[in-house]
Amino acid sequence: MARPKSIRAPTTASLPSILRIPSTSPSVSKSFNKLSRQALLDLVFQWLDDNNVDSFPPYLERDQIENTDPDDEETSPYPAEQTIDDIRNAYQDLQDRKGGKREVIDRVLEGDWRHGITLRQLAMVDICYMEDYPASLRWTALELARLDVVEDTQTSDLSACLPRVHASTFLKNLQQLIAPLVKAHYHLARSASLPLTFLRILVTNSPYQHPRQLPETLMDSSRVIYIAFPDSCPYIYTSISSTGSKTSTSATTAVGTDTRSLQRIVRDAIPKALSRPQERYTLKATSLSAKSLQALLSLRGPSRSNAANGAFSIFADAVVEGSPLDPRPANTVSPEEYMNRSDEKENKRTEDEDTKNTDTHAAKKRKLAVHSRFGTSGSLSSAPLDRFDVRLLDSLSGRDDQEPSEDSQPTLSLSFAGNDVISGIRKLAELGIVDAERMPSWMTGEEGVSVAVVNQGRRVAKDSG
Amino acid sequence: MESDPDADISSIRAEIRALQSRKRFLSSSLLTSDALQKHLSNPNTPSSAKSQLQLAEASPLLQSANTHTESNHHRIAFSTTAFPFTDPSPHGSSGGGEDQNKDKKKEKNLLGVRIDICARNGRFAKPYYVLLKRVPGPDGQRRLRVHRHTIPAFISMEKLERTYLPTPSQTGEQEQREGEEEEELKPWKKKKRPNRKPDLHAFVRTLRRELVSWQKRRDAVGLLREKLGVRNQDSDSEQDIFSDVKDGEGWLPINSMGLASLSPTALEARYVRLEWEDGRVGRFKLSNTGMVERAVVIGDQGRDKMLEAAMTGGDGRVESVLDRLGQYTISNP
Repeated sequence: MARPKSIRAPTTASLPSILRIPSTSPSVSKSFNKLSRQALLDLVFQWLDDNNVDSFPPYLERDQIENTDPDDEETSPYPAEQTIDDIRNAYQDLQDRKGGKREVIDRVLEGDWRHGITLRQLAMVDICYMEDYPASLRWTALELARLDVVEDTQTSDLSACLPRVHASTFLKNLQQLIAPLVKAHYHLARSASLPLTFLRILVTNSPYQHPRQLPETLMDSSRVIYIAFPDSCPYIYTSISSTGSKTSTSATTAVGTDTRSLQRIVRDAIPKALSRPQERYTLKATSLSAKSLQALLSLRGPSRSNAANGAFSIFADAVVEGSPLDPRPANTVSPEEYMNRSDEKENKRTEDEDTKNTDTHAAKKRKLAVHSRFGTSGSLSSAPLDRFDVRLLDSLSGRDDQEPSEDSQPTLSLSFAGNDVISGIRKLAELGIVDAERMPSWMTGEEGVSVAVVNQGRRVAKDSG
Repeated sequence: MESDPDADISSIRAEIRALQSRKRFLSSSLLTSDALQKHLSNPNTPSSAKSQLQLAEASPLLQSANTHTESNHHRIAFSTTAFPFTDPSPHGSSGGGEDQNKDKKKEKNLLGVRIDICARNGRFAKPYYVLLKRVPGPDGQRRLRVHRHTIPAFISMEKLERTYLPTPSQTGEQEQREGEEEEELKPWKKKKRPNRKPDLHAFVRTLRRELVSWQKRRDAVGLLREKLGVRNQDSDSEQDIFSDVKDGEGWLPINSMGLASLSPTALEARYVRLEWEDGRVGRFKLSNTGMVERAVVIGDQGRDKMLEAAMTGGDGRVESVLDRLGQYTISNP
């Protein structure tokens, strides 16, 4: 008798945020378990905040009278509190003293929210986890491109190349587009540390408002799609892998109900939801995916470094020269000074390196070459790529391109993986393992991609991406 | 008095560094100073053999200081300056498929365009750069294409390039064909753009106008916020405006207009969002010329047309929008 029986009729509405999942289900406690104690407490305080408490009502004593189940009360280790303030005080006590996160989770799941955790709460837990562990997902950058390139002669408003995203309108449009096929729960959140807005979509295939499925299906991480909207740039980042969806588009035109095709439906609906009359958008691949959102923001973001990486990163970071009011000649000022990063540690380290490297003439020359090839990328500014795949189309017999025997020609594919591939290659160049002067420019991360096809040292643009 | 020797050492080191950089500033300003330059270039100055020697010693420094000031003067006066840059890549930067060595040498030479923009506080923003490469056109002429740039993403470089630096291979025949087809299908659509010639000057001019008006818009919002009593925390002007957007809780100090917040909606500062204490919200659009183009205010009772008219009325300048709002609140309490 948890809640009054609702009428089960298929609707096109979205899954309500207040839909509760039994807090006893193991997947709920699993997802709570991923957070740290402090993050959990912060979340609870957010739920209990005066502005929010109506959306996340905790279990109070007056709820007990309604569902009389005396056995349950006696066995429960957390007696229901009288008021919300009491609950706040209880968590404040937990905040003040040290302890494991287990006691917080137990109190939330068996005590104050024993009647169930809402979908919105779960979404907040997930977003919180993503903020704390930014490398937990792999993001793919997609470009929003105009479909109808009507050459308007009034180029007065050049910034009109961006679709304006109004969160609730966008969600409404998206909901309308996918509602007949996908039942979803949406959660929008602004990132605390990055200039991004996250959209978390949980997709199910049941048309019912209160699905009678196992709670696990509502918790399945493969059913969750994240979309991040960076500020002021024509890109979006998704956690859906674009290659997977592409193949499924060609393979099955019939609507499947597996999570993959549900994700594909959502992905296809995003550009349509952003479009307006006379202004249609489509998503284009940009051959960049990385685990770090910071990397995506600096390579496909709103800032200066989108089209200036590798050797050109000196321009993006503006370390070539100072402002025109700076009386110091540019060659006497180090890039670190221009970037105002003269903290103790860095200086010490560079000094050490200086003394070590100036021993020989060759080392000095190498250092200069590395600096000219990599600029500041990989050291002062970094966009950490965790994976970098390159396919080389050069013929093996050297530079001879006269014989076009494509059939028998093997191609070489290279995959780099690590925490930060580009700075790793830079390290190799500094050590002299990679010849800094002769290496091709894709090794310096100049192209700003994570997948590249290379011919004669130059990237071959495959599909305008 | 006990203190950590490590902390002492590091603070002394920091002081030494500060003094060293101050010394460098002073010495380079001295070298570039007008009086010194004049004094040295004047042959009539009575000089002993010793000072001649000193002069000879200092001359490379003087030389570099001289060229540096000259380029700085150019950057300040003209705001857009060009400079050469050599791509360090051994494969060149052009996508053209020529393999001759001579061409490769040429490919490596890029034309750099630097745009310096002065902000409201008298400081210069980080210079914006566009690096152009030369690609062979079909008519044998070399055409300029954008190779790398540091222009923020909301200014569409592709659009600018398409308009001002078209390559004939792209636009010429293909577009003509498309245009003809379109004209047959849609006779009411006149062909708007005849085959344009590449125009680097117009390209740079448009780009600079776009960047300057972005800076001006940000300055205008900064000015409004300053009038409302938000102190600009940092000299780093890129950050302080947006700190408010990020947390969304930066309420303004109490003012007569009842405004609770005023901040740009996004990085490009095209739209400014307003919030009143009584729950009304509004936004207005800033034009490139600094006018309040459009304004919308919505309260619990729907739109507040009077207030909208007050915002766009008068001389329409964004700088005086707060005065107009103040007058409106006085006359309509």
